[in-house]
Amino acid sequence: MFYFRGCGRWVAASFTKQQFPLARLSSDSAAPRTPHFDVIVIGGGHAGTEAATAAARCGSRTLLLTHRVDTIGQMSCNPSFGGIGKGHLMREVDALDGLCSRICDQSGVHYKVLNRRKGPAVWGLRAQIDRKLYKQNMQKEILNTPLLTVQEGAVEDLILTEPEPEHTGKCRVSGVVLVDGSTVYAESVILTTGTFLRGMIVIGLETHPAGRLGDQPSIGLAQTLEKLGFVVGRLKTGTPPRIAKESINFSILNKHIPDNPSVPFSFTNETVWIKPEDQLPCYLTHTNPRVDEIVLKNLHLNSHVKETTRGPRYCPSIESKVLRFPNRLHQVWLEPEGMDSDLIYPQGLSMTLPAELQEKMITCIRGLEKAKVIQPGYGVQYDYLDPRQITPSLETHLVQRLFFAGQINGTTGYEEAAAQGVIAGINASLRVSRKPPFVVSRTEGYIGVLIDDLTTLGTSEPYRMFTSRVEFRLSLRPDNADSRLTLRGYKDAGCVSQQRYERACWMKSSLEEGISVLKSIEFLSSKWKKLIPEASISTSRSLPVRALDVLKYEEVDMDSLAKAVPEPLKKYTKCRELAERLKIEATYESVLFHQLQEIKGVQQDEALQLPKDLDYLTIRDVSLSHEVREKLHFSRPQTIGAASRIPGVTPAAIINLLRFVKTTQQRQAAMNESSKTDQYLCDADRLQEREL
Amino acid sequence: MWRGLWTLAAQAARGPRRLCTRRSSGAPAPGSGATIFALSSGQGRCGIAVIRTSGPASGHALRILTAPRDLPLARHASLRLLSDPRSGEPLDRALVLWFPGPQSFTGEDCVEFHVHGGPAVVSGVLQALGSVPGLRPAEAGEFTRRAFANGKLNLTEVEGLADLIHAETEAQRRQALRQLDGELGHLCRGWAETLTKALAHVEAYIDFGEDDNLEEGVLEQADIKVRALEVALGAHLRDARRGQRLRSGAHVVVTGPPNAGKSSLVNLLSRKPVSIVSPEPGTTRDVLETPVDLAGFPVLLSDTAGLREGVGPVEQEGVRRARERLEQADLILAMLDASDLASPSSCNFLATVVASVGAQSPSDSSQRLLLVLNKSDLLSPEGPGPGPDLPPHLLLSCLTGEGLDGLLEALRKELAAVCGDPSTDPPLLTRARHQHHLQGCLDALGHYKQSKDLALAAEALRVARGHLTRLTGGGGTEEILDIIFRDFCVGK
Repeated sequence: MFYFRGCGRWVAASFTKQQFPLARLSSDSAAPRTPHFDVIVIGGGHAGTEAATAAARCGSRTLLLTHRVDTIGQMSCNPSFGGIGKGHLMREVDALDGLCSRICDQSGVHYKVLNRRKGPAVWGLRAQIDRKLYKQNMQKEILNTPLLTVQEGAVEDLILTEPEPEHTGKCRVSGVVLVDGSTVYAESVILTTGTFLRGMIVIGLETHPAGRLGDQPSIGLAQTLEKLGFVVGRLKTGTPPRIAKESINFSILNKHIPDNPSVPFSFTNETVWIKPEDQLPCYLTHTNPRVDEIVLKNLHLNSHVKETTRGPRYCPSIESKVLRFPNRLHQVWLEPEGMDSDLIYPQGLSMTLPAELQEKMITCIRGLEKAKVIQPGYGVQYDYLDPRQITPSLETHLVQRLFFAGQINGTTGYEEAAAQGVIAGINASLRVSRKPPFVVSRTEGYIGVLIDDLTTLGTSEPYRMFTSRVEFRLSLRPDNADSRLTLRGYKDAGCVSQQRYERACWMKSSLEEGISVLKSIEFLSSKWKKLIPEASISTSRSLPVRALDVLKYEEVDMDSLAKAVPEPLKKYTKCRELAERLKIEATYESVLFHQLQEIKGVQQDEALQLPKDLDYLTIRDVSLSHEVREKLHFSRPQTIGAASRIPGVTPAAIINLLRFVKTTQQRQAAMNESSKTDQYLCDADRLQEREL
Repeated sequence: MWRGLWTLAAQAARGPRRLCTRRSSGAPAPGSGATIFALSSGQGRCGIAVIRTSGPASGHALRILTAPRDLPLARHASLRLLSDPRSGEPLDRALVLWFPGPQSFTGEDCVEFHVHGGPAVVSGVLQALGSVPGLRPAEAGEFTRRAFANGKLNLTEVEGLADLIHAETEAQRRQALRQLDGELGHLCRGWAETLTKALAHVEAYIDFGEDDNLEEGVLEQADIKVRALEVALGAHLRDARRGQRLRSGAHVVVTGPPNAGKSSLVNLLSRKPVSIVSPEPGTTRDVLETPVDLAGFPVLLSDTAGLREGVGPVEQEGVRRARERLEQADLILAMLDASDLASPSSCNFLATVVASVGAQSPSDSSQRLLLVLNKSDLLSPEGPGPGPDLPPHLLLSCLTGEGLDGLLEALRKELAAVCGDPSTDPPLLTRARHQHHLQGCLDALGHYKQSKDLALAAEALRVARGHLTRLTGGGGTEEILDIIFRDFCVGK
């Protein structure tokens, strides 16, 4: 068994995959060598688990380092996954064969699609999740992932070496030092430390250092990063108290039941693990003026709210809701924490009042008159690193092969973390095998929008995904995430299983075939009217109408169309998913055609890459204002497209950049030519020597 | 990364193949997108104006404007009758050239219309092009960007053009400021604001409507706003005269500290008493403009209030307007009292206005400045000159007329540069752009009404807002989020 100096507990990842460390050891004669991995992931939260498994799926020998193995996959805040925008991210994570969607399909207790009436582009898949089940299922998956090893231990420092000359960055990470002084080496390192960097918990006026209630923060690591020159910011977030289930009077509250049938998150699942009738309900209640009163009277006892650390523009805590929108009733959702959990999570009541006041406030609320607070709500303040310091592949500009993912980059939410985790895992692995980075463009997915926003614009509040941030919202839908990402994930990243890849290929070609068939069937509108009488087809135009246009009508679906024209449409109704996706494609067809032009324009600019090692502050021969230089210097955009999205960078600056890059290329090319000639000469010399 | 760029450059050097290759994914190289058009000859008096299009719909546009004739022979000049596709009304008999891609300036399909240079003809052709589906007015530097992207520009050409683009964008910014100054600008900004708010509320309804408690009737209110906007836009477009007074010619603004003799110079140059002159500082309190012919160039000459702080509210407003006008100027005539160079107001003026325009390298800035020292008659003939530290300047006496010839000669040179610059955006094109985007906005609002799918409806509003913000600037997502979080209590 693999062992090294005084480390914490080892957890064997997979018994079938033990050959690597064993082989390494046996090939070495005697002394136990310092362990060496391809990729080390620090942190076992939502970013960490996705990063570690993605790297392992890409074929890297991966080590997941976490404070405690039993907190892997812990949902520290709300007991739910998905929602509007967030559900989109989960579908994309799934399309890249990530974990969270599949685990949610095995662990949910209340599945619901939000925005059902607002159009399929903005449907929000969401589920209340059983915390315990999620953790169990996640740990089972992690511990059975080939090539993945898990170890307990707190990282104190990074091991740094000389940089690789062909990349930018002032040094390269080659491993980590643990708190006990032991070292582990790796080719790439991913930091997914969440709120643990100098994490500080706040309840009332009390503060104490912790990354999460009951867990130690990472202080040494935060200092290391600051010493390296990373720009560090401070953010705050919070979580509501947990209430004893049996102390709540549900009978007087508004009950909300789950969807029937449940829609699974993963493309690979047709159903979820639990029947709708066995799922748990949620309940809705509201705050009232007495809640406002308690908040306002006790502001002096509430340092989290008073602190100057910038909070988000949206309202994460009941205190900020009351302060910013006084005299209103605010919603409180009472959400189950799990099948056999005694706790209820009051969504909307995030607060940092002193513990005794929390219970006093809660008992003012209808249905909660006798509620018992089991765990108080608290605020967390933590360090984050300005995400403009990382590339779209999530590697840092400063330190080669060091990647950041999750809350450390200033985001909030499990889904945002998971999305970055997959991308960091893939890229850390690609970096080891010297392959080009895997970058998702804004035109390809919500993941692309998330990472592009972070890396080009940075963030000053916890960044959360909204569909309103996405310019190509009609193209980037939950239904087509596999067509957008699975094929690329398979070919360019190698993170997708053969089975998933084949399924996505089949679906994509079936859709294309179906659409072209629907375009080819044309009848006069009067004939359509007769064939599908329930549809409100206008018969005023005498031109023939395509079946695809008929499918756009709200009351028409593939079934009614196939009933009207059984041949050749019948076969497209056999697969439910295919039939539903054809309907969605038809709904957006005409707009998507126009959007495609715009997408092409953006992609054209993204294809024009900027050199990574440009020193914007000092380059001569390029006319850029000081302000533009500073902005470019800090964000280091990788493409002309990204540069043009930085506020303040003018079209003229863009053209000047293009010109500069082209000039430099020519010089570079000339130099390459001459050095090549030198090389040949050397070879020839050596040859002659040998002959002599 | 470098290697990638080098390959691209090598491809570009080799010939007309596409410069852009899609990074890492196997997707085909993207097409060129929309078809753009612009007036590519200079403004001012000219016999022939050249209007150019680039993009896949170029051939279609040419066929539509020259119907019923077919496309002319590629790269041969042909005489064609151009008519407006909407009314069938003849516009001009023009030389047309058809350059199918990739053998064209941008590498895409291009068309050139050589039309008679009168404003009515040019305006008519531009508006006719704007009405062809798939065509839109070019953005700043867009022709160059496309040519660059398609590997059609060699290094020297790009060197030269980069400066030009800067001038172009600067000039367009000033042009936009000018056009948006006044009733039309006021209208556009108001519309954009209304639309942004309506969109923000629809977006809020999409992103938060299900989970958080938005107030009742968010969508209904957005609907009402959009409907009112539609009516206003429709009325405006039908009444084509409103707010569209064309102010053609180079904008020359006279500025300086109070009592430097700015109004005297304006009167001298326009040969009529446009402005009241008096020995009292602060006589001119508003911007007075007068169209003049200076050395053969059409010029809009503006007299402005003297720049100084700490005066009454009326004069302060005058100073604010003067500064605004300064922003929009093509050529600044900066005036100082030669006998009063040491005074704080003169020094301050030199340090701020003159130095800031002068600091930009000539290629960097398309805003030009002539420093004129007035009241040379007050300098003693044998005394020292005005001072060695001054930037290049001209001496003038508005009283005696001494130095006027020198000033006119300098003006002629500067104006030739301003008016001869083919990149400055003439008002005609600005008007075409306004019309195009307002119509685009109106069309999109029509789609909003028809869409049952809320995502589609929001998309229509996004498109509509995109058209308006092309005219007013702004338009980012952050603006939307700001409104959402200001107006609604959302988030968890």
